[in-house]
Amino acid sequence: MKSPRHLILLACALLALLASAFAARVGEPAPGFTAVDSNGKQQRLSDYKGKYVVLEWHNQGCPYTKKHYESGNMQRLQKEWTAKGVVWLTVISSAQGTQGFVTPSQENDYLKTMNAAPTAVLMDPGGSLGHLYGAKTTPHMFIIDPKGTLIYNGAIDDHPTSDQSDIASSKNYVSAALQEATSGKPVSEPATRPYGCSVKYKD
Amino acid sequence: MLSTALNVTDVAKAICIPEGGTTGYYIAGMKSVALILYSVLSFFGYIQKIESAARHARVELLSRQTTLHPGANLQMGIHFILEPGWHIYWINPGDSGQPPVLKWQLPPGFSAGEIQWPRPERMQSSAELADYGYHDEALLMVPIHAPPFINNERLRGLRFAVEAKWLVCREVCIPEHASLELFLQSGATKENPATAKLFADAEKLLPIAMPRGWKAEAESRKSDFLLTVAGGKPITKAIFFPLDPGQIDNPAPQSLQATTHGAKITLKKSDLLLKQINVLRGVLVIPGGPAYQIEAPVRQPIQ
Repeated sequence: MKSPRHLILLACALLALLASAFAARVGEPAPGFTAVDSNGKQQRLSDYKGKYVVLEWHNQGCPYTKKHYESGNMQRLQKEWTAKGVVWLTVISSAQGTQGFVTPSQENDYLKTMNAAPTAVLMDPGGSLGHLYGAKTTPHMFIIDPKGTLIYNGAIDDHPTSDQSDIASSKNYVSAALQEATSGKPVSEPATRPYGCSVKYKD
Repeated sequence: MLSTALNVTDVAKAICIPEGGTTGYYIAGMKSVALILYSVLSFFGYIQKIESAARHARVELLSRQTTLHPGANLQMGIHFILEPGWHIYWINPGDSGQPPVLKWQLPPGFSAGEIQWPRPERMQSSAELADYGYHDEALLMVPIHAPPFINNERLRGLRFAVEAKWLVCREVCIPEHASLELFLQSGATKENPATAKLFADAEKLLPIAMPRGWKAEAESRKSDFLLTVAGGKPITKAIFFPLDPGQIDNPAPQSLQATTHGAKITLKKSDLLLKQINVLRGVLVIPGGPAYQIEAPVRQPIQ
């Protein structure tokens, strides 16, 4: 009798294949999606055609996310770029019962407390949006250009630590990429290794 | 007495057993060993913990030598004893996490080398995430270079201190840190009997150079690298751990095909890899066998 372990392994391998088939690659069309935000509103990527879209994977309990929120770094970025017409979508892929899982109202309270200013927060407890983009860490950042092409996939900055004191001396990859792209230049560092906590997907 | 208590084969086994495979026996065994070791060492003054914000790892600074001698290098180690289920990270942590960072404060003229990283374990938490690190216990050894002249007028000996920062994770991750120190007197260099076995066993977990005559090379294909290792006997089981992040897709299954003199391993390219690479560096771990340092030149596809 074969152990169910084999089946599980096979399922995992298939899942990995599926995930890799859909993963987001820089230079290729960003995978389209529809998701529900923390206000219960449907958000479609296609609604934002013609605009730059930032995706920020988030987990409010993760020390690396805290680094950028407790310092105000992430909120500064959100405000700066949304003021320039960029769409900022924060995504929460923590499964129920895992770190970072929040209800929509808890998330809205958090946004208020933290003075955060994303365009919307997408609730993804099933992890499908996370899997679609191959989001690995919190934070993990993606940028989509007005044509719908993925132009950045990676870390928020070049200091893979949880120390707030490192932010001042860090190069912010998201800002750099948006600055280059919005001034008509190619993104010089379009793919970096994201750093942080693992995304707490449903098993 | 200590050497019988310190059954390091068990320790090594525990380190090599993948996540979920460890038994309470190993952990309990190691805990008592660690405890005995700790009390013995504290008694002799080899380790002293002065400040620690560690909740899921007990960390100590150990020396392989009991005394120091001008010009003779020392070997020190940061010994992590982790709470069951928690892990720390390898130099390339994989898809998430962060490797430990050490900041040394050494007597004048002394300098610290790089961490000698033991072979890692692969820890896969989901279809798109695989990390590299250590469970249960790890000794991160660091060579300390001694100057040709040592000025030691202090009664307690010379102070070696390190500020260690690390990330420890289970389902969640917690940054921890500790300030550790030890004092050594000068004298004829002697091995510390209390740590000798621990260091000797940790040494066995270090990746080694491939035997003479062996060769590793890689072929860059559309979506993967084909790593060929040849020179010895057929290799039927092995895992490749990449040193450089962003080259291979960490969670993708590695398919291995044994050949007459080694193996061919297919490694899926990372989505983050947008440029050609000239060399694939990493560690090839053969379960139950050695871990080899790999530096494989990469052949590009013929256009």
